[in-house]
Amino acid sequence: MPTAASWTSGWTEARRAVADVGHLVRFRTGTVRRRGSAAWFALGFVALTTAAAVVPAYTPGAGDDGRAFDLLLLLPTALAGFLGLAVVSAVASGGGRELLDRDPGAVLPVSPTTDHLGALLLAPLNIAWLLQAWTLLGTTAYALGPSGLAAAQVVVLLWLAVATALAQVVAWTFEGVRRGNHGIAGVRLVTLALLGLALGLQMADALVTVLDRLPTRRIVLGMLGGVSWTWGATVAALLVALVLAAALGAVPAHIAARRTPRDEARVESGRYAARRLPGSDLAALVRTDRGSVWRAVPMRRGIAVLAIGPGAVALLGDLPWSTMTILPGLVASGGALLFGVNAWCLDARGGLWRESLPVAPGTVFTARAWVLAEFLVAASAVTVLLAAVRAGVPSAAELTALVCTVVVVTVQVVGAGMRWSAQRPYAVDLRSARATPAPPLTMVGYSTRLAVSTTLTGLVFSGLARVPAWEVSVLVAVPFVCWSLARLVRARARWVDPVDRARVVMAVAG
Amino acid sequence: MTLPPDGHPVQVRDLHVRFGEVEAVTGVDLVAEAGHATALLGRNGAGKSTTMRVLAGVVPPTSGSVTVAGHDVRREPLAVKRAVGYCPDVGGLVPRATPWEHLQLSARLRRLHRTEPGWEQRARDLLERFELGDVAHRVTAGFSHGMGRRLSVVLAVLHQPEVLLLDEPFDGVDPIGVEATMAAIDDARARGACVLVSTHLRELAVEACSTVTVLRGGARVATASATEMSGEEGARAYRGLLD
Repeated sequence: MPTAASWTSGWTEARRAVADVGHLVRFRTGTVRRRGSAAWFALGFVALTTAAAVVPAYTPGAGDDGRAFDLLLLLPTALAGFLGLAVVSAVASGGGRELLDRDPGAVLPVSPTTDHLGALLLAPLNIAWLLQAWTLLGTTAYALGPSGLAAAQVVVLLWLAVATALAQVVAWTFEGVRRGNHGIAGVRLVTLALLGLALGLQMADALVTVLDRLPTRRIVLGMLGGVSWTWGATVAALLVALVLAAALGAVPAHIAARRTPRDEARVESGRYAARRLPGSDLAALVRTDRGSVWRAVPMRRGIAVLAIGPGAVALLGDLPWSTMTILPGLVASGGALLFGVNAWCLDARGGLWRESLPVAPGTVFTARAWVLAEFLVAASAVTVLLAAVRAGVPSAAELTALVCTVVVVTVQVVGAGMRWSAQRPYAVDLRSARATPAPPLTMVGYSTRLAVSTTLTGLVFSGLARVPAWEVSVLVAVPFVCWSLARLVRARARWVDPVDRARVVMAVAG
Repeated sequence: MTLPPDGHPVQVRDLHVRFGEVEAVTGVDLVAEAGHATALLGRNGAGKSTTMRVLAGVVPPTSGSVTVAGHDVRREPLAVKRAVGYCPDVGGLVPRATPWEHLQLSARLRRLHRTEPGWEQRARDLLERFELGDVAHRVTAGFSHGMGRRLSVVLAVLHQPEVLLLDEPFDGVDPIGVEATMAAIDDARARGACVLVSTHLRELAVEACSTVTVLRGGARVATASATEMSGEEGARAYRGLLD
């Protein structure tokens, strides 16, 4: 009796998987709490994407031989950079986001193919993905000008889809390997080797040569000159690549699904030695909250990527001290998105028991905000230390501006995170590397707001780093910190209110 | 324990709890005595767990009067929490903390390290009695439902509270765990604590408690002795109260 799956049964399974994605999407959209906001988001997304793809083409200098041509030369690297970012994002999130959370999904016949296609669909609901995509569309528009723009943007859009699908293949492969014997060590070794290779190329001044020879050059050549045979061949090749990559991703997704997530199992079956009783109530609460953060796989994996990724890029790009002020905001925003925007979900169903303990609610709030702040500061410190390796000795003004940026963005992000945690609590299980503290659309909203505020702050202090008097940064930082602290105090007042607190605790307890 | 003049550690009068448009409790009256165990019975959504949450100081009442161990839950929530040991109906455990860390947090916040130097030994004994000694230093995320329930009971009884609130303590628990929970209820009763047990399981409720209060639609519909609610006759009476 033949036991191998036939071609027809494989095709039937694939069709069923695609149909199931539709069912799950309908289910998820049906659970969206604020439909009005979702509609505005969709409208905003279309408007911004259209604006990014068209407006730069009609600005002065677009399509010229000057700056626009320089950008055209950089376009192959930018396309490759998008792929790199998509890979890092998908690998860090253990294969991408879930259309249906793991626990409720466990009782449903959802195949790994459906899971893979769902993750592919959700990948663009990520501010890093969106910003990179808009940047690519805008760069292309400016580099080429109005002539043949529509044809070129079709190629860029197809590349965004292909790169996302390829990233998904790599992510599932990494996840499959990570779940195998010695997989965690293997993945760490590969990551270190890739970082070392990039650093080695940079040290040997060979990085630019490598970037100039990237295969993405062919894609850029295919988008030039409007609709032509070359353009048609490029579009066809990208379409084939998209279908192949989307289909191929199902193979490692099945392999990963058959294996146990080792890092989760290690956390859940490991023994944690008893420690002495903490010296104060606050210390006891901080210890519990720290455990909830640092023992969670998504937090550990996410913070490692956030701390090392931007630092490594800064190291490779030889970022000067004055521009380094952009990094803490980026890292703090990303760190808050791991749990800080729904900070009370750390207790999950234990929230009810914790709320029955005799301790002032203000102390509970202080502990949670403190743990979030130290999580963000630790990640920012690693990033800045890495970036500082090749940046030389900073001036007093540069150093002060950077320190002020870290302080300001940390207070900003903690304030925003604790405010949102009380406003919109969600019951979330943060066991899986794929878990996020809020639904996808909400996460996009949070990440956009955090990215805008912290990037603007970073830019302000980047300018101040060039001012000779270091005291100016401190003076500017004071109102920023006061404003954010006032918002944090308001969030605390909301938590201290027993009715509001009960609503939050019961929501996160599920 | 500071008791009101009539001496009842738990007194609930015309309790209403509203969550937005939903009224979860619509006028519960309840009195529970020291040294006795009272069962709260009722269908899903009858208001048992919400009432228990109010008594534990977790959810504030929308209206009505609730006194626990002589303290008003609205005005003195911290005093109520000091007097109460609470096993919530869902989970009740911090997923990435170990049982021992849960016990340490409770001991620290309840000042057991000052008032009861032997609390650690009692905690170890309780873990052993509930067959959780082997997993005392593993995070609770990997626990089965029954293990979680057993640990929640351990956490509720650790500080020998004046008022013990057990919400669905037998749910999914094996016979050894049920036996240990019954023993914990007996111990609490014997030292004069007031025990309230909310459960769907009538047989276990009448075995553990001396009085049974039945809730329906967020309000109390009957209070009877455990004897009246036991056996075939009790089952029929209970069934009649649910409709």
